Amino acid sequence: MKLPIAILLAGAICCAEPSRPVASYDIKASLDPKTHIITASEELTWLNDSPDTVSTLQFHLYMNAFRNSQSTFFRESGGQLRGDKFKGEDWGWIEIRKMQTAGGADLTKGLRFIHPDDDNAEDRTVAEIALPQPVMPGETLRLAIGFQTKLPPVFARTGFRKDFHLAGQWFPKIGVWEKAGFRFSKQGAWNCHQFHANSEFFANFGNYRVELTVPSNMVVGATGEQIAKAASAAAGTGTYTFQQDMVTDFVWTAQPGYLREERMFLADRETTQAEVAAAARLHGIPESEARLSDVKMIALVQPEHREQMDRHFHALRSAIKWFGLWYGRYPYKTITVLDPPHGAEGAGGMEYPTFITAGTMYKLPPESRTLEEVTVHEFGHQFWMQLVATNEFEESPLDEGFNTYSTAKIMDRVYGGIGQLPLKFFGVNVYSLLKLPLLRDESMNRAGYVTQPAIDDMLRQAWQYYDGSSYSLNSYMKMSVTLRTMENILGADVMARIMRSYHQRWRFNHPTARDFQAVVNQVSGKNMDWFFDQFFFGNRLLDYRVGDVTSVQRKTPIGVYEKGGKTVTVTKKQGEEQDKKNDDDKKFKKEYLCTVKVRRMGDAVAPVDIVIRFKDGSTEKRAWDGEYRWVKYTFIRGSEIDWVEVDPERKYQLDVNYANNSWQDRYQVEVSAGWTGNLLFWMQNLLLWATSLA
Amino acid sequence: MTSMQAISGASRRVASRKLMVGIYWAFHTALAAMVALPLMGAAVSVLSHSRYATEIMRGFDVMWLFEALSASRNLPSPMVLPLFLLALLLAVKGGVFLNGGAVKLLVHDEIGYSPREFYEGCGRNYWRFLRLMLYSLFFYGFALAIGASITKAAGKIWGEGLEERPLVFAGYLKNAVQILLCGFVATAMDYAKVRLVADDSRQSLRAAFGSVRLAWKNKGTVMGVWLVLLLLWAAATLVYVQVANRIQAVTIGSILALIAWQQLYVLSRVWLRMTSWGAAAELDPVLRPRQMPPEETAPVLVEVAAGPPVLEAGAEAEPEAGTQQ
Ligand SMILES: [Zn+2]
Repeated sequence: MKLPIAILLAGAICCAEPSRPVASYDIKASLDPKTHIITASEELTWLNDSPDTVSTLQFHLYMNAFRNSQSTFFRESGGQLRGDKFKGEDWGWIEIRKMQTAGGADLTKGLRFIHPDDDNAEDRTVAEIALPQPVMPGETLRLAIGFQTKLPPVFARTGFRKDFHLAGQWFPKIGVWEKAGFRFSKQGAWNCHQFHANSEFFANFGNYRVELTVPSNMVVGATGEQIAKAASAAAGTGTYTFQQDMVTDFVWTAQPGYLREERMFLADRETTQAEVAAAARLHGIPESEARLSDVKMIALVQPEHREQMDRHFHALRSAIKWFGLWYGRYPYKTITVLDPPHGAEGAGGMEYPTFITAGTMYKLPPESRTLEEVTVHEFGHQFWMQLVATNEFEESPLDEGFNTYSTAKIMDRVYGGIGQLPLKFFGVNVYSLLKLPLLRDESMNRAGYVTQPAIDDMLRQAWQYYDGSSYSLNSYMKMSVTLRTMENILGADVMARIMRSYHQRWRFNHPTARDFQAVVNQVSGKNMDWFFDQFFFGNRLLDYRVGDVTSVQRKTPIGVYEKGGKTVTVTKKQGEEQDKKNDDDKKFKKEYLCTVKVRRMGDAVAPVDIVIRFKDGSTEKRAWDGEYRWVKYTFIRGSEIDWVEVDPERKYQLDVNYANNSWQDRYQVEVSAGWTGNLLFWMQNLLLWATSLA
Repeated sequence: MTSMQAISGASRRVASRKLMVGIYWAFHTALAAMVALPLMGAAVSVLSHSRYATEIMRGFDVMWLFEALSASRNLPSPMVLPLFLLALLLAVKGGVFLNGGAVKLLVHDEIGYSPREFYEGCGRNYWRFLRLMLYSLFFYGFALAIGASITKAAGKIWGEGLEERPLVFAGYLKNAVQILLCGFVATAMDYAKVRLVADDSRQSLRAAFGSVRLAWKNKGTVMGVWLVLLLLWAAATLVYVQVANRIQAVTIGSILALIAWQQLYVLSRVWLRMTSWGAAAELDPVLRPRQMPPEETAPVLVEVAAGPPVLEAGAEAEPEAGTQQ
């Protein structure tokens, strides 16, 4: 009856303060498709939701990351991101033309650039202004901002290519005022990081209304619902109005060639009554709360990917369904997925509120689930990043890693993993032809993790990891493997309750890893601090292995013994003779002294289970606290040890070496013969190619 | 002589020299083992007593590959790359050596296989063939450059567009052209080897250029042979893959069956290569008639009478059987 108590506890813990719109925007923007310049006016409504008197404002001006090669983003990324390179002929920028308070005070001149994260005076991605009058607690400030944004050629998420445009991080966006006690804040201060290579998201929730004017031949997509559309024949433009409440950002796209399709996610059709009931039972909530709501799905797909339209929708449906059943219903009315064109792959694989960008290739084989993987992952950010709006700059694994964990669960469940890699020759699916092994997400995540398991603390400022690969390894794979390990320790049901409780408690809010830790301890009813200290906040290496295993037949004891009050001496010779007699006696029961040593190779300490199996079929189980460097178990048995396994259920996905977790007495000739044969064969073929030159 | 006739002649030539095929197989196998055995030795020593190994055998898991990679950073893996490069180098050098013997026996059909004859050819032709191989790099480079220029041109035309499709098809074209050109160069070099042996010449450069010219002039026949052999290779590969995919290699019996099947495939590749040389040996005298040694005496001019020949009576009088209606 432990679980119901845990659920009660979970319900009893008070939620984080309910969130309300803090930073809301009303923007009117028009795009010049030739110069790729957006000219806009913005009305910002900012609520001082703190007990502090705020006398300055800080703004993100992120398009300035593409202003020159000396921005912090360029210095960190070297002008390339995720394999896409900046060509260096056309830059991007944002200029605030005018900034005015509702009272008419002109703030434009007071604008100055600051660089809170580094000493890079060339970086212009954050600006500060001193207000003529401070904003009092609870007071609302209104600002009118006129600005222009020049989009860069797309290589890093945002920009243009020919007439394709994706405008992300395109408007002056206010930072987050953190009062004392909010996240890590000790006193009221702005949290407004510069634009970095690997992180760009942290903002308050707010209500957005954006009017976009673009050439009339363009198909438009954006965050939120389209509430109006007007055309001007004279100007040859169309004006689209989008609106969305309680989101943290706004993005939009325009391109003439899109195939646009809408389909509905009908909650009662996509989920069965039994699925809803099971979710309700698991989480101890009424079915009405577990039920999902309908969502309008919009896909903007490139014409040459026409046949993949269904795949995008299928992936969206799977994601809306499972994220919804697991963590809580998707609360917005729309979700838009954009498929960027060839050459604009840098815009793909991105997450924005109610709007995601996917990634694919021409004639992607259906067996290769990379399209579904990207779509599900980016949708997942609606839950981890957008609804639970963690700080990507300071704790990137909380969105990327939580999302990788969730994505893997959906991919493995719905699609059986990523499946095949898109390996084609003359359009023929070579991966399929050679029957290469199918890839599962869970395996891929651990595979990535083991390459550099302890290179950094998992949670760090996103720009302070050892290098780019350490950033992604820790932010994506390691957190996923860590959560999976925690799930194995606590059990799938408890973990499911933890994840939902955490999500629900912090929906529309801004938690930290410590907040997650608190939820884990409360919902599981266990103190998991040992786990968090070592793996969340530290970088301990987990590796348990089977050490020496021996089974030695017991010989007749020799030497001097006291038996029945008499002193008896057994000589070595007598002993040997007795041994020989025993050997010849078929009825004699042999005894073996069996010892097993299990070793801790890493600096992480965790309790592990050990199973010892004897050749007579009997089994011994031991639970070891795993603390000292090794442990030894001794048994006197009628048969030798057959095999030994540490962590037989493989709970610790964090263990960097599975191969040494077990030992068996029998030498596996199939392993050596099979693998040597295969490797020999591949080498022979390779050499045959080499000698074809001779 | 047609391509098919050349191939069947070549098959006969190869079939009567099976030991030569065996030497080639043994040579490649020995070099492959030089790399595979130590590498597997390291892996097997870790895994042969681990229960994880049988698990991976049943369904190969990518996790283990990476685990092995990260674990092998501290193992003798630095040894593997030099060993691999050494094997490649030895393969090419050894290949050049053995080719001398093989081509000799395939050209001189009258000589049956004997180790003495074979290795005599290896030694005699080694430096000629080595030079030829170096010259052939020039032609291969040319073929690759043409492929690269197709890619570059496609990039110029479609690279800035919003569609991947034309680039994909340009990629197909580039691959096709490159395969064809490399096939052509490889075939021409087969003829060059045959020419060097047939003429017992040391002029590798002349043979290389002469053979490219010859192959170009007779591209129909020559590339016909190449195409048939390519299709045979593709068919062999397909059959190999289909059968190999069906063998569940978990028991020692099935593993040995798979290894045998793999070796059969390797043998088929060696066989095809020899057939290619054999076909060149069949066609060479036809495409490149031997120049007769100059006559000792000057040719005598024979006077030919002008006008139609006089037909003798009776020549028309007896109709041949079967020509009558
Ligand atoms: Zn992500």
